[in-house]
Amino acid sequence: MTGAVGGARPTKPRTWWKTVVVLAVIAGITVWSSIAIGVDVSAIAENAHNAANTLIQLMQPDYSFFPQTLPALLQTVQMAIIATAVSVAIALPVSFWASRATNPNSVALGIVRFIMNVVRSVPDLLYASLFVTVVGTGALSGIFALVLFNLGILVKLVSEALDGLDRGGQEAALASGASWFKANRQAMLPEVAPVYISQAIYVLELNIRASTVIGLVGAGGLGMLIDQVRTFYQYHYLSLIILEILVIVVLLELLSSFARRRLIK
Amino acid sequence: MNQNGAGIRFEHVGVTYPNGYSGLRDVDLAIAPGEMVAVVGLSGAGKSTLVRTINGLVPITSGEITVGDVGLHGLHGARLRRLRSEVGMVFQSFNLAKRTTVLNNVLMGRLHGTSAWRTLLAAWRKDDIELAMRALERVEIVQKAYANASELSGGQQQRVAIARALAQRPKVILADEPTASLDPPTSHVVMRDLQRINAELGITVVVNLHFLDLARRYGQRLIGLRAGEIVYDGQGTDADESVFEAIYGRSLTAEDVLPSQPVELS
Repeated sequence: MTGAVGGARPTKPRTWWKTVVVLAVIAGITVWSSIAIGVDVSAIAENAHNAANTLIQLMQPDYSFFPQTLPALLQTVQMAIIATAVSVAIALPVSFWASRATNPNSVALGIVRFIMNVVRSVPDLLYASLFVTVVGTGALSGIFALVLFNLGILVKLVSEALDGLDRGGQEAALASGASWFKANRQAMLPEVAPVYISQAIYVLELNIRASTVIGLVGAGGLGMLIDQVRTFYQYHYLSLIILEILVIVVLLELLSSFARRRLIK
Repeated sequence: MNQNGAGIRFEHVGVTYPNGYSGLRDVDLAIAPGEMVAVVGLSGAGKSTLVRTINGLVPITSGEITVGDVGLHGLHGARLRRLRSEVGMVFQSFNLAKRTTVLNNVLMGRLHGTSAWRTLLAAWRKDDIELAMRALERVEIVQKAYANASELSGGQQQRVAIARALAQRPKVILADEPTASLDPPTSHVVMRDLQRINAELGITVVVNLHFLDLARRYGQRLIGLRAGEIVYDGQGTDADESVFEAIYGRSLTAEDVLPSQPVELS
């Protein structure tokens, strides 16, 4: 083989020991964490009797309870829809404000990004309990909590989508003497629209799920009902509620994937 | 759609980028109203910089550029936007908004004179829509007005981009390597469109080209750039082998020539 071009072939680099080290480190961290928080596996065995009872009740949803869940169920869906509509409307201009691609003013960009980071760092349950304290128990607190929770998510996702867009149309609009506002409206909005619609649907799904949880602290919806039945260990009622949530979430997913197909070419 | 072109004057223009790279050095140049000028040179010679200084996309760091009777140095805000509204631009990568219609892309050329609320609500004036349609007719692509820009071929997209520039009713059209993303027959179609616009409307056209033969064929006047300086300025037909060597630093090869003849697009 005297005709070989480009010299000898390189030997394959040995990398298996790196994999071993990484796996060992991950295993070490996991063991250390479980010791630190005192994981006691034997507790599962000791409570096995309780667990079995609970599980048996959970497997037997009491359908006669259904009429009593209806108002709360309806409220959950209404809360989710209102919160989605409000947050989707607010999030669009704020997203353009929060993207480097659409806001040339780095000071304004920094301010809005900082505010949105703060908004996003507060969990939905904490928002709910804050609003329950300020506004009072009920659906209104839940809606406020969901709106803030949604804004954090939507502005993050949509502004990052704007960052990643092809900015050719915007450049052309600016070169033709358009202001940034007009260039963004005409060239960037149509490009980001599919992502925006898709995230709006995603947020509606999130809200159905989240609005069941925030009720636990008194912010309306199914969560308040869950809290009641759980307090009285009525697990066959609880399992019906869980079943209802499952049905709504599945229905909504079907609806949203259908809407996505229709809206986004 | 009849208007006169504007003259462009460069006086000791220098461009130094923030990283210290020198894009243009002491460029003096006078382009008459209604002239069609082709700018050639190697990548990095400053072709793109030269064209982009004319509408302020690249700010000049020394000297002065005058477009019509407006000086560009230090121009910003509303006055810069007004100047830009009179200078159309065609880009190498077409720069269309792909997910919206061809008509919406051409209407982009009317944004300068459209109020913010009309822009927000897409409530375009009838006159502006008429102007956009006529611009599309001029580049023979009006039948695609309501198609999505992404459905068009490269050549069609570039003609939409030319229509967008025309919709501005510009005094100058700048074209930054308008044929670099196109195949040879389509390149000729786009260049002929620019030539026709120059001849029929009297709009001053400044076009950057990589291929010397395109520049010779379509530019009345040829400007050769090398390392940010003008090394040739004369008739395209006069540019011979020695001129080529001055611009490119080597002699002509087959790779520098675009082979095909003009072909009609469907």
